[in-house]
Amino acid sequence: MTVGLTHYLALAAALFLVGMAGVLIRRNSLIVFMSIEIMLSAANIVFAAYSRLHGDLAGHVFVLMVFAVAAAEAAIGLAILVEIHRRRRSVNVDDLNTLME
Amino acid sequence: MNGPTPVTLGAELPVLAPYLVLAVGGLAVMLVDAFSGGRRRDHLSLLTLLVLLGAAAAQGAAPAEPRGATLLGGMLAADRFSRFFNLLTVTIAMLTTVYATSMFERDGRYRADFYPLTLFAALGMMLLAAATDLLSLFLAVETMSLAVYVLVAGERGSLRSSEAGFKYLILGAFASAFLLMGLALLYGQAGATDYASVHRAVQAAPDGGILLPLACGLVLVALGFKVAMVPFHMWTPDVYDGAPAYVTGLMATGVKAAAFAALLRVVWLLPPIAEAWFPLLAVLTVLTMTYGNLVALSQNGLKRMLAYSSIAHAGYLLLGVLAVLNTGRDSATAVQAAAVRDAAGGAILFYLVVYALMNLGAFGVVACLSRSRREEADAIDGYAGLSRRRPFVAATLAVFMFSLAGIPPTAGFVGKFYIFDAVVKAGLVPLAVWGVINSLLSAYYYLRVIVVMYMKPAEGEVHDGHSWEAAFTCGVLALLVLLLGVVPGSFYALAAHTYRQMIF
Repeated sequence: MTVGLTHYLALAAALFLVGMAGVLIRRNSLIVFMSIEIMLSAANIVFAAYSRLHGDLAGHVFVLMVFAVAAAEAAIGLAILVEIHRRRRSVNVDDLNTLME
Repeated sequence: MNGPTPVTLGAELPVLAPYLVLAVGGLAVMLVDAFSGGRRRDHLSLLTLLVLLGAAAAQGAAPAEPRGATLLGGMLAADRFSRFFNLLTVTIAMLTTVYATSMFERDGRYRADFYPLTLFAALGMMLLAAATDLLSLFLAVETMSLAVYVLVAGERGSLRSSEAGFKYLILGAFASAFLLMGLALLYGQAGATDYASVHRAVQAAPDGGILLPLACGLVLVALGFKVAMVPFHMWTPDVYDGAPAYVTGLMATGVKAAAFAALLRVVWLLPPIAEAWFPLLAVLTVLTMTYGNLVALSQNGLKRMLAYSSIAHAGYLLLGVLAVLNTGRDSATAVQAAAVRDAAGGAILFYLVVYALMNLGAFGVVACLSRSRREEADAIDGYAGLSRRRPFVAATLAVFMFSLAGIPPTAGFVGKFYIFDAVVKAGLVPLAVWGVINSLLSAYYYLRVIVVMYMKPAEGEVHDGHSWEAAFTCGVLALLVLLLGVVPGSFYALAAHTYRQMIF
């Protein structure tokens, strides 16, 4: 059996859904972050697979850019999380209720 | 990205100048801050304003490009549309800087990270409005969003601000993942990342499988999140409420305008696919308007009320987008369809400008009346008796509220009129009627603020902050709102002309 485009797309779809479920279900902020990274990786697989299919490098460039953006996002997210943890002693998303009315 | 476009960076430099000025200026402001001691930071605000003025001047001096010109090998459009949004963004960033500085001065505590971040956020907005490539679209969204996340969360020692920033970041990153997946699938179908290739691929295979509609839907979800479309609006009230007032103004106007600019280009790109999503999009638009207005009715905080009102206004703007989408179907001739599309596009641009003016005005009044950054002028009851204590500020806020409610002779009325008119011309009469009903409904909560200001005696905690810069700016904005309400014609013509020349 050769591994074709469909396999890559199926893998990406599975990863994307796992990540999405993680964001929606898990209550620990760090795990939510990780789940978002999984979703981004799913998109990266699609880019890489199509890049190969089309013999076009633009997809690879896109993947590299996504790495950079994901790193920046994680840096900001963790910084905010540290600030919240200092005052709240918790990283549970259900405890973020100062703004609820 | 993959075309045989020759690299002529030297020739492009003058057109790229506004973006470069902001990028380099942001870095310069950061460096200056690092090397300046002491607590005062007014020189940073002056420098930021100079950078923004420089960007506006560079935009004014940029040579008019021939129609269809793109920059950096197809990454950015150099058209009237991007020029329009560049000037709008620079104006919004300048007003935000003035408000923020006035708040910092009252407090005696400066927030130095605000200045470079505002410049970077403005850069992201400008790039977003000009993006004509999937890659530049993604990078622009992220440049803007990352800066705004930090702006929202960066109020030191305020848990509300951190929490708002965190919520915005998590949901924003979630939306980014959808956007990225959509872009990846579009790239897969087109084999290239520039809009022109994507457009060709979409036209060639209007019903080629499930992947194209899926990709289109994912991109619409992500942009819907940025403009706060129901059901992707959940973050809006908390984030607008928790963020400092000066940042909320930037988010409600700048981010929304840039996201709608991107949406207008993307929608123009995908007509056959968007057709499949049209009924769903129409339902969501109706829900967006209705939800925003219904929940705003029961709010006691001005910031939260404006947050829900911004959801409702996103609904009115989405009505315009629906009109753009619907023109291909009913109109008898292509010429007629183009005329309706231009009218709708022009109405959206006009409304975005008007919305920016009146909303920044309202947030400016909040900034002006706040005693300090901890005690923002948020509770609507605190506005009681304002007409006695501060007649000028009360009058400007009344103008903004009338305009938000869409009552003549303000610009808000004219803007809504153009949108509903375009919607009717596009053959969507029921939607237009529903929009008018919503707009009547919204008058209740906007006018309530005016009633409190003019008819209730002051008692208990009232807002009595003072800032002449903010008050002066609000006065100018109120004048502009009235001016655009009385003589809108030429500006609307400009907006429609701008939309007509949009390239992708």
